[in-house]
Amino acid sequence: MARYGMALNYKNCINCRACESACKEENGVLLLPDHYRIWVGVKEAEGEYPNISIASQTYHPSQCQHCENAPCQLVCPTNATHYSPEGMVMVDPTRCILCTYCINACPYDARYVDQRTMTVDKCTFCSDTRLANGETTTACQATCPTKVRVFGDLDDPNSEISQLLAKHEYRQVKEHLGTKPKLFYIL
Amino acid sequence: MNAISLKNLFSFEKTPLNLLMAFVTVALVAAFFAGAVIYILHGHHAYNVTRQHPWGLLISMYVFFVVSSTGLCIISSIGHVFGIKEFQQIGKRAIAGAIITISSGFAVIGLEIGHPVTMLIYNVLTPGLTSAIWWMGTLYGLYLTFICLEFFFLAIKENHTLSKIFGICGLLVGLAAHSNLGAVFGFLISRPSANGVFYPVYFILSAMITGCYLIFLMYGFKYKMNFPEKVRVMLVKLSKILGMLLAVLIFFEAWKILTALYGDMPERAATIMHAIKHPNFWFGELTLGMLIPFVVILVSNAQAIKATVYASITGMVGIFFMRYGLVHDTLLYPMTTLKRAEYQLAPSFVDYFPSATEFMIGFGGIGLSLIMYYFADKIFNLDESEHAHH
Repeated sequence: MARYGMALNYKNCINCRACESACKEENGVLLLPDHYRIWVGVKEAEGEYPNISIASQTYHPSQCQHCENAPCQLVCPTNATHYSPEGMVMVDPTRCILCTYCINACPYDARYVDQRTMTVDKCTFCSDTRLANGETTTACQATCPTKVRVFGDLDDPNSEISQLLAKHEYRQVKEHLGTKPKLFYIL
Repeated sequence: MNAISLKNLFSFEKTPLNLLMAFVTVALVAAFFAGAVIYILHGHHAYNVTRQHPWGLLISMYVFFVVSSTGLCIISSIGHVFGIKEFQQIGKRAIAGAIITISSGFAVIGLEIGHPVTMLIYNVLTPGLTSAIWWMGTLYGLYLTFICLEFFFLAIKENHTLSKIFGICGLLVGLAAHSNLGAVFGFLISRPSANGVFYPVYFILSAMITGCYLIFLMYGFKYKMNFPEKVRVMLVKLSKILGMLLAVLIFFEAWKILTALYGDMPERAATIMHAIKHPNFWFGELTLGMLIPFVVILVSNAQAIKATVYASITGMVGIFFMRYGLVHDTLLYPMTTLKRAEYQLAPSFVDYFPSATEFMIGFGGIGLSLIMYYFADKIFNLDESEHAHH
């Protein structure tokens, strides 16, 4: 069984936010405040004029980290948040009671209340919209002009993501919390 | 149980205090139902909760009510379960209060949880055993059953053995449920200011303090400050217990704050510093909730019962701020760590102020408690029976 994750060449990001648009379009995410599954964070340049460090300004595309030890899954009272066989953190709308405990528990701000289903929604790695149709990429990856995102099977040593992680140093976000996130930021 | 007609049920002595309480009660109950209608029409849009601040006033008020319930249950058990004679007189009144306050809590949380019916079904079908909310909710359901049975055998079909058995069960399950409610916050690894052992322990302590305040208020109102000797003796002892509990709470809080600030740990220190600078903490929680009652008890050597009743009013206001702070301070620190667009400022502490509907439902819950207490006092004999405990 595959174990999906995503590597991000975040230094290639140009903050065009095509990924945000593609995600909304592909997954029918509503155009409302607070409704976003993925986003691009902006780290502003450091220093004071004229000594501004241009290199310090970076963009950080982010989303649900699909943690192997997900705090949102631990706290869900009805197991609406669960792991798919591929290790993705998923929400079953029929079981979600909208207590929003998972939103509090997520260290990554990855969850929000979806106004259509009135349940907590999050990134699914396009599993129902693309992977279920035989696609091998997510919408945000397919649309990225600078090839920031590489989605794939972490257990397959020949997959692009495994090759990338074998050859490069990377960091994970808030890994000290023991969440074992599956988003890898290539350094 | 008292035989009572409908006319009797709604007639009371028309003193200014009684009339004021009646007005406040009716206004709050009306606010609750009006708020409920707005919520049913508009859903969570009627609340000011957001992605960054998903819990608000209603969660605070739920905690406020269940803390009150657990506190009353614990304090009543001093006489009723542990057999300390002077406290046996508060058993029925306190357990009635415990049932009433937790019912109000459930009414408020029922309008906050998005799908309460789904909760009842999937709590059973697919229980999340690693979830503190699951344990808290399930144990509180069990607790309510036990204390209802306890009340039944105390006030309706008197049976001291059965009431004691259900009393012990209610107490133990209540303690478990309540510390799990503390764990709902304490288990949040994403929130360093809340994460840790403090909340589960502190919840029990602050529940006992809340229970004491409510006993003072119930007896102060019932006897209009003219206490019979038996009640006065009990309240003096309760006042000493309250003084000790407040001293422990102030000690705990001081060390919690010092530990949080020490070493300037990321997220934790800044959050707590932000929280303690706010008047909600230093005036609401600390001054009203702890210092005023503590000073009254300390200065009077626990003898000034009337002043302690008044201090219990500030105490309960302080307890409200404690619950509000618990929820708000936990969510203060932004999880979005970078700004998201060019026209957006970098994230700062998360703002939240409750909407009118949240106020109506949250404070309206107090009205539910007051009206249920009024009816319970009319329908049942909440004082110690003459023939009991011989």
